[in-house]
Amino acid sequence: MNTLADSPLTVAAARTRRVWSKRWPIAVAVLALFGWLLWSVSARQALLLLVGVGLGWALAAARFGFTTGWRHLIEQKDPSGVYGQILLLAVLAALSMPLLAHFPETQAALGPPSVSLLVGAFVFGLAMQISDGCGSGTLYKAGLGVPLNMAILPLFALGSFAGSAHLNGWLALGALQPVGLVQQWGAGTALAATLAALAVVAVGVGRWSGQRFSFRSMPRRWVWGALAMAVFAALNLLIAGQPWGVVYGFGLWGAKAATALGLFDPAANAFWSDPGHAERLHQTLLLDVTSITNIGILAGALWVAPKRPQDARPLTGAQWAVGLLAGFVLGYSSRLAFGCNVGAMVSGISTGSLHGWIWVPMAFMGTLIGVRVRRRLGF
Amino acid sequence: MLSITALRRWIFWIGLFAFIAWDYRASAPVNLRLEPPLIAAGSGLPVSGGHCARPK
Repeated sequence: MNTLADSPLTVAAARTRRVWSKRWPIAVAVLALFGWLLWSVSARQALLLLVGVGLGWALAAARFGFTTGWRHLIEQKDPSGVYGQILLLAVLAALSMPLLAHFPETQAALGPPSVSLLVGAFVFGLAMQISDGCGSGTLYKAGLGVPLNMAILPLFALGSFAGSAHLNGWLALGALQPVGLVQQWGAGTALAATLAALAVVAVGVGRWSGQRFSFRSMPRRWVWGALAMAVFAALNLLIAGQPWGVVYGFGLWGAKAATALGLFDPAANAFWSDPGHAERLHQTLLLDVTSITNIGILAGALWVAPKRPQDARPLTGAQWAVGLLAGFVLGYSSRLAFGCNVGAMVSGISTGSLHGWIWVPMAFMGTLIGVRVRRRLGF
Repeated sequence: MLSITALRRWIFWIGLFAFIAWDYRASAPVNLRLEPPLIAAGSGLPVSGGHCARPK
């Protein structure tokens, strides 16, 4: 017999109380960090922390996984994740391109078409399936408490640092000047061309999967997740003057650690001796845009964590070893590719960079192999 | 008693905050007189932050 004590309403209320009892210390910690940044570092960085929290919340609450979206399209012919990503790109491009044209201070995510980009994007697409997370995916899953992604994060940073230290050598293999559609054609034409190209991709995905793009058939989380992320990513561009990025911050953390341990001399490295990078190495990472939004993403996902307990299936020793190695490769290849799914694909395409359009097919080809490797390893 | 998941989370967050705290102490002091405008867009000042898409 059901009593009042175990009625569904009472159980739900108890669950809500449990979730909020875990959330309020997180909220207090974030507000304390926000206040301290405001007082001791900079108001802009404090605001960017909140933008990062919003991004982390949207990623984790909507389970907006770039990696799983691609994998579900390949393995299950389920296009909803990819449609969500196309929607994100379209809305963000519609917000970002006019901003770039109107405010000359703002900058697009312009990477050079290069051998480095081709190799890096392919390897990144492969590795992200093995480690089950791209740049933002690793961050939000680490924030949720997924053991493999928490362990991958330091290796991602190390790989990103190694990739940046070798970047000039890779660029010497062949590179063109970055191409920015907004700068070349103006915001209106660049946006029209971007939306037309995204529509072509959506039609192609629809034909292959047998499910045409439709808001009604898409799971809600992909729609609201795309819209929320587009708003927060556009705020990043408005406040920081540069698009959302993840990987640069990781590389900076790795470079700081390697320099402090005496393992690396930034003055002898072409990339890190550049005045801008050298300055960021000397100043606190709290002044770096991508570092502060990365910390925010972790905190935003932690906020969601009490509602989504992450008791992941235990991994074997071999799976741990391969997963961690893939994390290092993710970091390295994302520097070669001038960004991950966020820096190259989302920010590149939405701000009109040609390199974003080269990144996607290369990473997708890598993913086609990555999903097979993942299956073979029993992940 | 802490579950293994909770213990891992604590280790992760303590490690992250320890790294940030060490970096803050080891880095050059923040000069608040050079604080950038709250919003970069429309400020008239060029942006100089690092981004993964940039080769330099």
